[in-house]
Amino acid sequence: MNSIDEIIEIYKRDVDVTLIDEALRRTVEERLQALQDFEKFREELRKATSGQ
Amino acid sequence: MTDFVALLSSLASAGVEFIIVGGVAAAAHGSPRTTQDVDVVYERSAANLNRLELALRPFSPYLRGAPPGLPFKLNAATLAAGLNFTLTTSLGWIDLLGEIAGAGNYRNLYPHSKPIQAFGVSCRVIDLDTLIAAKRAAGRPKDFEAIAELELIRQRKLPE
Repeated sequence: MNSIDEIIEIYKRDVDVTLIDEALRRTVEERLQALQDFEKFREELRKATSGQ
Repeated sequence: MTDFVALLSSLASAGVEFIIVGGVAAAAHGSPRTTQDVDVVYERSAANLNRLELALRPFSPYLRGAPPGLPFKLNAATLAAGLNFTLTTSLGWIDLLGEIAGAGNYRNLYPHSKPIQAFGVSCRVIDLDTLIAAKRAAGRPKDFEAIAELELIRQRKLPE
């Protein structure tokens, strides 16, 4: 195992696998829709806070 | 804001040969991680460069992060003269990649991609093993967490 493998193994300890399992239950279209929805949400937040 | 679906739809409807890589590919495979751009590896024949120009022209493509007013025009000649382009468009951000570390160009990558259908759009996405290999080959520290996540997805997903 090289150093990158070791670092990646350390990162795995903190991955929230419930999020992964939820995503894997979805279809590809539903996964991409979730990505698009979050992008819209992020943009709304950006607009809402840009004047502050 | 990047309209992922509209960008991919514009490429697909113009007949552009491309493969989705990067964060959108990771999301398609089940990553809950978000991204702000679409990364695609595109085929570099003259015909495909023309299709790419026609697909993106309506959306005012421009070099992302470059000062306004540069004499930049995304057309087939520009694409032929370069390789990788990070662009902003009126539909959002898109990276056009002639090749990627660990996976090569479109022709190298094609056997390691699979078709997907979403929102009425048919296109190809890099397969999970090759996405992981590409991110490992890139060796960027910012990707380490994403690699960890993708490897866990590989372990947890049901056989297709």
